[in-house]
Amino acid sequence: MASESNDSHKSIKVEDLLRLKRSERPTDTFWNEFDRELHQRMLQTLVKKDPWYRQLMRTFSGPRVQTLGVSCAALFVAMLLMRPATFERTSSQAEVAAVSASIASASAVVVNQLALSDLSASSRSDYQIEMISSEVASVELGFTRDFSLEGIQVASEDSDYSMNFGLNGATFGSTGVVSLAF
Amino acid sequence: MSLIGSVTKAIYPAQSEPVLDRDVDWAIVQKVQAGNVGAFDQLVQKYREPIFSIIYNMTSNREDASDLAQETFIKAFQAIARFKGKSSFFTWIYRIAINSTMTFLKKRSRRRYISYENIDQEVSNSEIFERLTAKNQTEKGALISELQEKLNDALQKLSIKHRTVVILHEIEGLEHTEIAEITKTSVGTVRSRLHYAKQQLQSNLKEYVG
Repeated sequence: MASESNDSHKSIKVEDLLRLKRSERPTDTFWNEFDRELHQRMLQTLVKKDPWYRQLMRTFSGPRVQTLGVSCAALFVAMLLMRPATFERTSSQAEVAAVSASIASASAVVVNQLALSDLSASSRSDYQIEMISSEVASVELGFTRDFSLEGIQVASEDSDYSMNFGLNGATFGSTGVVSLAF
Repeated sequence: MSLIGSVTKAIYPAQSEPVLDRDVDWAIVQKVQAGNVGAFDQLVQKYREPIFSIIYNMTSNREDASDLAQETFIKAFQAIARFKGKSSFFTWIYRIAINSTMTFLKKRSRRRYISYENIDQEVSNSEIFERLTAKNQTEKGALISELQEKLNDALQKLSIKHRTVVILHEIEGLEHTEIAEITKTSVGTVRSRLHYAKQQLQSNLKEYVG
């Protein structure tokens, strides 16, 4: 009796109240329905194909892809670290290239000038050779020049006059027709 | 041993079972991983009640708890091939359940704590209800409904993190270290959250406490 009285006056703690929540339990009917729905949903997930973004995420979350990503990152960092040395080398190479290019261009100008002078000389001589060769050819073919420039006659309809130009002479007619007399 | 303690043991004999059954769980997981999909049902049967209980107490809604518990098992089933057994299965699945529920609660715009589960008859006849009835001079049936509502209300007033720790420790009976592992926090953080949460609950349930 004394202990019962003592128990009834024992203080109730928060923990005691919270433990009452443990006794909130669904019925067997609820669990039957739960199991049925769960099996249905699990079968649906087995059949249903994941959306493309989830498949993509799964692809990129694979260990091989992650390793590849880490390797790429390491390579990128290594390239960043090595970049100044490469840049210096590149700039010195560029300077050398610029100097060699200027030298090459200067030499090219000289070479061009030389080539042009050579070309003019050779063309002149070629021409002379050609003239000579044509005369020679005409002689060889039995073709002789039996004419020479003696005068030019200019005919006019209004007035009948003729003009002689020096040694060769030219005649102007009134018709304005110029005839050359050889 | 107090009456509450004995009633609790009678209702939840498997409270400490997950820790002891770590190897058994791992054996089942390996069966599932080997292609025996049906073996997953054993894990569902074993963990559906504690998983549902955690989610139900976090959401205070029966339908939401049912949906989220199913979602937890589906997520676990989909990811079981990647489960390496570094932690125990129960830690892993509890973590899935809590993370899913936290995400759900953050998205949920308004509170819905309208549905209650039946209180076990054994508990309604327990010492604590006798004392509460005597103290409040209320009829037992009315007191049970009132207390359920007040408890749910008080839990929902806590932040999600504080609520999670209280539920896992006081309702599910997990150790501080297990809670720390599940919530990925330190034991100190768990104790601190638990202490603060109890203070809040004490304040919100002062008409029943004391």
